[in-house]
Amino acid sequence: MRRGARIALLICWLLALAGLGLLIAQRLVVSTDLRSFMPAPTTPDQKLLMEQVGEGPGSRLLLVAIDGASDEKLAALSRGLSAKLRSDSAFSQTINGDFDLGMLDDQLLPYRYLLSPTLDTASFDRDYLADQLEQRLDDLGSPAATLLKGLLPRDPTLEVLKLAEQWTPAHSPEVRDGVWFSSRGEALLLVQTRAAGFDPGAQGEAIDRIRAAFAALPDSAGAHLTLSGPGYFSVVVNAQTRSEADWIGRISTIGFIVLMLAAYRSVRSLLLGALPVVSGALAGIAVMTLAFSEVHGITLAFGFTLLGVAQEYPIRLLSHRRAGETAIESVRGLWPLLLTAIASACIAYLAFYASGVGGLKQLAVFTITGLLAAGLTTRYALPWLLPDNVRDVESTPGLAAFRNFLDRLPRPRWLPVPVALVAVLMLVFAPGPFWQNDLSALTPLPRDLLATDARLRGELGAPDVRYLLIVEGATADDVLAVSQSVEPRMRALVAKKALDAFELPSIYLPSQAVQRARQAKLPAPDALDASLESALEGMPFRKDLFAPFRHDVEMARTALPLTPQAFVRSPLGQRLAAMLVQRGDHWIGLGTLSGVRDPDAVAALGADFGGNVRLLDLKEASESLVVEYRTRILHALLAATALLLVTITLALRSVRRAWHVLAPMTLATFLVLAVERAAGIPLSLFHLVALILAAGLGLHYALFFERDTDDPAEQRRTLHATVVCVVSALLVFGMLGWSSIPVLRAIGLTVSLGVAFHFCLSILMAPHARQD
Amino acid sequence: MLILALIPLLSYARSTPEASDANAFIATLKRPPPARTPFAEARFMRVLDKPLVVSGELAWLGGDRLERRVDAPNRETATIADGEVTQQREGKKPRSFSLQRAPQLKVLLDSFVALLGGDPSRLGDAFDVKLARGDVHWTLTLTPRDARIAKQISAIRIDGAGTEPGCMRMEEADGDVAIDLLGDLATKMPATPTRENLAALCGGAP
Repeated sequence: MRRGARIALLICWLLALAGLGLLIAQRLVVSTDLRSFMPAPTTPDQKLLMEQVGEGPGSRLLLVAIDGASDEKLAALSRGLSAKLRSDSAFSQTINGDFDLGMLDDQLLPYRYLLSPTLDTASFDRDYLADQLEQRLDDLGSPAATLLKGLLPRDPTLEVLKLAEQWTPAHSPEVRDGVWFSSRGEALLLVQTRAAGFDPGAQGEAIDRIRAAFAALPDSAGAHLTLSGPGYFSVVVNAQTRSEADWIGRISTIGFIVLMLAAYRSVRSLLLGALPVVSGALAGIAVMTLAFSEVHGITLAFGFTLLGVAQEYPIRLLSHRRAGETAIESVRGLWPLLLTAIASACIAYLAFYASGVGGLKQLAVFTITGLLAAGLTTRYALPWLLPDNVRDVESTPGLAAFRNFLDRLPRPRWLPVPVALVAVLMLVFAPGPFWQNDLSALTPLPRDLLATDARLRGELGAPDVRYLLIVEGATADDVLAVSQSVEPRMRALVAKKALDAFELPSIYLPSQAVQRARQAKLPAPDALDASLESALEGMPFRKDLFAPFRHDVEMARTALPLTPQAFVRSPLGQRLAAMLVQRGDHWIGLGTLSGVRDPDAVAALGADFGGNVRLLDLKEASESLVVEYRTRILHALLAATALLLVTITLALRSVRRAWHVLAPMTLATFLVLAVERAAGIPLSLFHLVALILAAGLGLHYALFFERDTDDPAEQRRTLHATVVCVVSALLVFGMLGWSSIPVLRAIGLTVSLGVAFHFCLSILMAPHARQD
Repeated sequence: MLILALIPLLSYARSTPEASDANAFIATLKRPPPARTPFAEARFMRVLDKPLVVSGELAWLGGDRLERRVDAPNRETATIADGEVTQQREGKKPRSFSLQRAPQLKVLLDSFVALLGGDPSRLGDAFDVKLARGDVHWTLTLTPRDARIAKQISAIRIDGAGTEPGCMRMEEADGDVAIDLLGDLATKMPATPTRENLAALCGGAP
C-alpha cells in the first residue's frame, strides 16, 4: 500500500474513533444504582428488597456526628447544620433532638386531638380539665413558663408536647443544650436523603452537600464531621475500589508497554496494535448508548475486563508474521483460526444476554460488539498500516530453547485423568461454603467504619438496615389499622427485650376509625364551655383566655379525619411517606426496627395477622436474589458451552480436533475452581465472570497450539504469541490479585490462575507432540 | 484643635472609674458556694387575672449549677446543670428541657452565678450593666446583650442594701413581670401583691 493511502486510512480510522468518542460523550449516561445490575425480582420479598435497597427509610439514613469543640459550640453547629439541611430539597428529613413545634403546621394543628392518644383514655370533662389547668398553673410558676405560656391559650392540655414525645425516636440520645449528644460528647444528627441509599453517585452528591453546608457554618473550622450509614459506605467502597483499581491499572499499563516493546521492538507496532482494542471498546460503548438509555458503571468495569481477550488479536498478527511476508498475507493465513476464536468468545458472551438481567444484557452487547469490532479491524484495517519490514519473532533469543524444553516434556496420554481426579477431590474436600452469597463480603468495609456505625446507630437508636416489619392492606387506611393493632404486640416484644425499639406508620397517623372514635369523645361547644367554666372556678386564668382552645376542639370535632394524602403535605409528612407506600393495587407499611435480638419472635407475630404482617430480612432476601442470579448465569453458561462445542466442532470439522481444543480449556477451568475452593475461597459472581474471561483466553491458546504445524519456525511464532499473551495477562491480572479489595482480588486471582493452567494444559495436551 | 480631638477620649476615660466602681461593688456581693437564699416570687402575667405567687429556696451549688426549689403552693424542684433543666414534681416523672429553650432561666443563671461568684466580667459578657447607688440602697440594671434572649427578656433589675440583694425583677418583652423577694424580704410577700406595693417593698436606690 502506498504511503499516502496508508496515512489516509489511518486518518479515517482515527476520525471514526473520534466520531464514536463524540457520540459517547453526548449520549453516555452512567448509572451507579446497584439495582439496575440485579436480576428482576420474582418473590414479593425480593421485590420489596429491590425497593428497599434504594427507597427504604433505613437505607436512606445518614448518621452524622460532630466533635472537636465545646458542647455549646457543637450544639450551635448541630442547629446550624440541621437548619441548612432542612431547607435543602436533597434531604427529606433532618433531626437533631431539637424538636420543632412548627413541624405540625398551623392548618393541621387542630388535628392534634385526633392524632394524640389522650382521648383514648380521658375525656375533656370538668375533672380532667381542672387537673390539667392546675398543672399548667404550676408550669407558669416554674422555669418552663416562657416555654409554655405561648401554647397555653390554644393547647392547655399540651397535646403538641405529647405528640412531640411520641414522634421522637424511642431510644433517643441524651439531650444537651437542646440537641442530641453521644456518650462521647459528639453532637448527633439523623439525616434522610431523598436519593436512593445504594446509589453511590447520588449519595456522594448528598454527602458533599452535607460537608459543604457544615464547612460554611461559622465556627466549623476546628470541629470534625463524622458520617456513617449505608449511603456513606457505598460511597467509601466505590472510592476505595476505584482508587486501587486505578493505581494497579497504571502500573500494569507501564508493564504492558515495556513487554510489547521488548517483544516486537517497534513503537509503531505498539501504537497501532492498541488501535483494535480501542476501537472495540469505543464501538461497544457507542452501541450500548444507542441500545440503552443508561449504562451501568459495573457493566463498563466488567466489560473492559472481558474485552482483554481482544488484545490477543493484534498480538497474534504481530507474532505470526514471517520475515518478508506482508501483514495482509499473514492475516489471511491466521483469519480462519482468529474467526473461530472470535465467534466462540461472542457465543460464550451471548450467555450473558440470555440471563435476562439488565446489567448483564448490557455487558453482552458491550463485549460482543467490542470483540467483533476489534476482530474486524485487526483483519481489515490493521494489516494495511503495519510496517512493511518487521523482525521475524521466530528468531527471538531463547525462544527456540524454550520450545525445545517444552517439546521434551513428557506428555502422557492419560494426563487428563489424574488432573481431573485431583480437581474433583479438591472440589469435594474443599473447606467452607461453595458459594459466596453475601454481596457485602466482596466489598468489606474497614473495621473502624463498621465500629463507628454500630456505635452511632446504638446511640441514636437508628433502625437496623437488615430488618423491616411489613404491614400490608388493600388501602392505606387498612395498613394503618393493622399497624395500630400491631403496636401493643410490638411494645410487649420490646418489654421482653426481643428488640430495642420500633416505629410504625400508625404512630404518625392513626387509622380513620381511631380518629373517628377520638372525634366522638370530643365535647360539643356547649358541653366544653360548661366543663371549662366550672374547671376554671377559683383559678387566676383570664376568663376568655381559652377561646383558641375551644375553637380547635370544635374544628377537630367536625373536620373530616386526616388522610395520609393530606398529612404527607406537612413537614412531618415525609416521615410517613417513607413508611407508607402504594404498590400496584395494594398498600404497604414499612415498620422500622432497631436492636433486633430475637427475629423469630418478631416474625412469629405474622401468624396472628393473617399474612398481613411479616418480618422482612433484607439480608436473606438479597442472598436468595444472588442465588437466583447465579443460577441464571450458570444455566446460560451451560447453554453457551453446548453452543461452543458445536461451533468449534463445525469450525474444525473434526470431533477429535475439537476435543484437543476443548478438553484442556475445560480441564483448566475446573482446575482453577478446584484450587480456589481448596484454598477456602467461596465463589462469587465475580469469580464466574473472571473464569469466563480466562476460558476465552484459554480457548485461544488451545486453538493455536492445536493448529501447530510441522514447521518449527511457525511453532516458535505460536509460542511467542502465546507467551506474550500469557505474560501480559499475568501482568494485568496478577497485579489485581494482590489488591486488598476482595472483588479485585477475585478477578485478578482467577484470571491469573486460569491463564497459567490454560497455558500449561494446552501445551501438554496439544496433539502434535504426541505424534512425535 | 488638638484639645477638641481629645474630648471624646477624655469623656471615655472618665467613664472608666465608674465601671471599675461597679466591678468593685459586684465583687463585694460574692458568696462561697453553696449559697442558699429563701425567695418569694410574684408573677404578673397577661394570661392571668391576678399574680401567681410561689415561694421556696434558690441555691447556687457552685459552677453553672443552680437549684430552684418551690415549697408552696406545690412542691417542685428545678435543677440547672450542664445546659439542661430538669423539673421534678411530686408523683411525676422528671421532665427535662434545654436551657436554650428557657431564656428566663439562662438569664437567671448568668446573673446569679456572676453575682454570687463575684465575677463582674461574666456579668459584663452577658449584660449591659448599670449601677445606681445611694448611701445604703443600690440598684443594678442588667440588659441582655444576646439578641435572642433580649427578644424574650428585656431587663433585670436587682435592688439591694449593703451587700445583700433584696429584690430581683425580671421584665419580659411581652410585658409579663416576675418579682422575686430574696433573703429576709422573702417572708414579707403581701397577701395581694401588686407591682406598686412590691416596688415600695424593694426600695432600691433613689
